[in-house]
Amino acid sequence: MAESVLLEVLLPVFFVLLITVGPWAASLIGTFFYQSSKKKKLLVREQGIGSNDNLTNLRNPIRSDDVKEFKMVWSSVVMSPSWFQQLLGGIMSLFGGQIDVYRGVVDWARREAQQRLREQVQQQGFDEVINVRMETSTLSRNRGGKDKTAGVEILVYGTAIKY
Amino acid sequence: MQPANNLIFSNTETIPGMTIVQSLGVVTGSTVRAKNVFKDIGAGFKNIVGGELKAYTELLQESRNEALFRMLNDAASRGANAVVNVRFATSSVAGGAAELLAYGTAVVAQ
Repeated sequence: MAESVLLEVLLPVFFVLLITVGPWAASLIGTFFYQSSKKKKLLVREQGIGSNDNLTNLRNPIRSDDVKEFKMVWSSVVMSPSWFQQLLGGIMSLFGGQIDVYRGVVDWARREAQQRLREQVQQQGFDEVINVRMETSTLSRNRGGKDKTAGVEILVYGTAIKY
Repeated sequence: MQPANNLIFSNTETIPGMTIVQSLGVVTGSTVRAKNVFKDIGAGFKNIVGGELKAYTELLQESRNEALFRMLNDAASRGANAVVNVRFATSSVAGGAAELLAYGTAVVAQ
């Protein structure tokens, strides 16, 4: 008797809950724990660079000496807001004004892309990156005939130079 | 992907240490790429938690390299030896597909 109740009632209920509540639970955990731990790691990497930030968007090198070597460099990151953030953003956009949840994601993506460019350039032994441009674009994903935003792509590019 | 020709390219208006002798016009290169279905499912799952969608990052990097490669080939076919003021543009065309465009000015520099 007890076994049949378990099989016929509890198991289906369990699966229904897993399918409906599961992703949202994962989304909450992802938003508050996974994302913030990634952001903390990024902050540590940024502090490692310290005050000698080598990205500028000036056209010409600051120390306008002779440039020995140059190379065009770029890096890009695709970030996506979690379901929870999308829901929150949707609710907030009803009222208008600032939507901080989306700003957080885009800002994070931009910092990540910049940081990757800094690290890439440092590894290759360049001194500075000039003429840095940043570009943002959204990626859409087709779902049920409706285009939904899957994420935002940040591209950072510039010319790395060696004195 | 490395271009077959050794063209110099830069997103600055001049090339450090060289003078531009002749301009050969704007050259462009573009690609439209769609994700493969299996990776798209993975990205869909990652979308729940948020954060970086690595599959898409890689996809866009690959296609951007290819767009750049095509732009350089275009420049080489015009007899240029450098491309200056290179810019990138991205737009999403339809569900899952993205168009990457690279453009610049092909020049002869000495």
